[in-house]
Amino acid sequence: MAGTLKKKNKMTVGQAINYLLITLLAFVCLYPFLNVIAYSLSGYNAVLSGRVNFYPIDFNLDAYKQILGKTQIWNSMRTTVYVTVVGTALSLVLTIFASYALSRQDLPGRKFLTGMILFTMYFGGGMIPTFLVVKGVGLFDTLGALFIPQSVNVFNFIVMRTFFRNLPDSLEEAARIDGASYVQVLVKIVLPLSLPIIATIGLFYAVGYWNTYFDALLYIQDPDKYTLQLRLRSLLFGEELNNSNSNLEGMGTQVMTQSLKMATVAVSTIPILVVYPWLQKYFVKGVMIGSVKG
Amino acid sequence: MMRSGTKTQSPYITKKSFRQKVTKVWAYKWLYVMLFPVMAYYIVFKYIPMYGITIAFKDYNVFKGVLESPWCGLKVFQKIMTNKNFWEAIKNTLLLNFTTLIVSFPLTIIVSLMLNEVLSTKFKKITQSILYLPHFISWVVVAGIATNLFSQQGGTINLVLNSIGLPSIPFLSSNGWWIFTYVLCNVWKEIGWGTIIYLAALTGVDESLYEAAYLDGATKFQRLIYITLPSIKSVIVTMLILQISKMMTIGLDAPLLLGNSKVMGVSEVISTYTYRLGIERAKYSDSTAIGLFQSVINIIILLAADKFAKAIGEDGII
Repeated sequence: MAGTLKKKNKMTVGQAINYLLITLLAFVCLYPFLNVIAYSLSGYNAVLSGRVNFYPIDFNLDAYKQILGKTQIWNSMRTTVYVTVVGTALSLVLTIFASYALSRQDLPGRKFLTGMILFTMYFGGGMIPTFLVVKGVGLFDTLGALFIPQSVNVFNFIVMRTFFRNLPDSLEEAARIDGASYVQVLVKIVLPLSLPIIATIGLFYAVGYWNTYFDALLYIQDPDKYTLQLRLRSLLFGEELNNSNSNLEGMGTQVMTQSLKMATVAVSTIPILVVYPWLQKYFVKGVMIGSVKG
Repeated sequence: MMRSGTKTQSPYITKKSFRQKVTKVWAYKWLYVMLFPVMAYYIVFKYIPMYGITIAFKDYNVFKGVLESPWCGLKVFQKIMTNKNFWEAIKNTLLLNFTTLIVSFPLTIIVSLMLNEVLSTKFKKITQSILYLPHFISWVVVAGIATNLFSQQGGTINLVLNSIGLPSIPFLSSNGWWIFTYVLCNVWKEIGWGTIIYLAALTGVDESLYEAAYLDGATKFQRLIYITLPSIKSVIVTMLILQISKMMTIGLDAPLLLGNSKVMGVSEVISTYTYRLGIERAKYSDSTAIGLFQSVINIIILLAADKFAKAIGEDGII
């Protein structure tokens, strides 16, 4: 029995060390966040004299007040929320369509179409050819460039298709015999049973869109359309990064105080931190389904 | 691709069977309607760019475009192959990937084993949540935090070192230390997330084996070596092969954001090089050629790794 062996073991020295090491590791994972929050909440002098470590000194909210007073940040926040919401919706719809249709074992042409999708996992045009296509279809410097060219992710497709395949066939068959169309089966039977996987995949997409910065770097020129990550990058590292000689060292202290930088980091990360605890178990589930070969 | 159906079909393709086929396809019309936008997406944004690879063999001219630019054979390849920076980028890609693998691979397994030993479900849940968290943080944020912690002037770590009388360490500005910082950031970000797959495998280990070993007087360490590790061996091997097959692929975010002019000698990898060459200097053909070279190498490694995995009796990775 699973329990008996474990119950026999009282807390040994080895166990205690193990707990201690894991706690330490968890602290290492959390420490950078504490550091950010401590800086963002500390007084100017405390930061300058280097006394801040993982708790705020001379607590104040000045940095946050300054940031939230910047229209740039609000603009970027709005852009990112828009891209995340619209992008996730589009991605989910397309992924559901693809996975549902291709999870039907009897669909003529299924193998060919699935192969076409899976092939893109191993081979692609690369950065420049894709860039030229995005430009060619008129998406350059539009927000659409941030989600349309990457709307269906192959990994997410595999995960969802695996899930659909594992649903009991009998339910769908019964509905089909009763004369329901595939669309009706999808909407009335499959989707209600698939809410957990839809949440999981939706979250994968949402986090991806929220964090994406390279696509914005490639496709967005107009500073008014900067996403949060792009804005954050230019605030943290200065625009120099574009010119291949960015300099992380000793720069920007005059331009922006450490507190202000760290408050910006905090603001752009808080949405993820807020939703994270509730959604974590879904993510884990998604990884597990994905690891089972589709 | 399976095309076995055509071979076994009777040679007399009658009108009736054709009509049957059409009827059969028609029955699925709504599924095809659903697939239409998806396939359109893949054709436009994945397959047309694949055709665009032809510019690696062309003298690309912005005004003429992909189709009209004149062919130039392997001229572009000759150019990049003789370029020192290209080989440097490949070397750095392998160096960073290899170092990260050496550190993170065993560490991930060790952490998984440690988490697996935890008896309190509550403690396990909380620590797991914390360990997974960095995976969801963007590289921009990670790089921002890393700068705050590691910069030579005013970085928290160096301030602590100074306060106990030690000299500052150039975490971000000397080649060797930069690699250290790069690996550290990567490990910090992904170690917890990497344990998921091992923890799943570990829950599948047959408890009765432990029970028997325990009764036979095996120590905890012996149980670990003779039961736990062999039970998850195939997961370990598959993960290792999978990671090795990605040796030539490297994300652009981390080296681009953590890198700076002082450490270009180690931070310039294939992806950042392609980006700078293609986007910043508009050398479309060169950049595409490098991308193609990388893809081809990737496929070769992947096929070899898959073959190897099957040869040693594991599941293939494709």
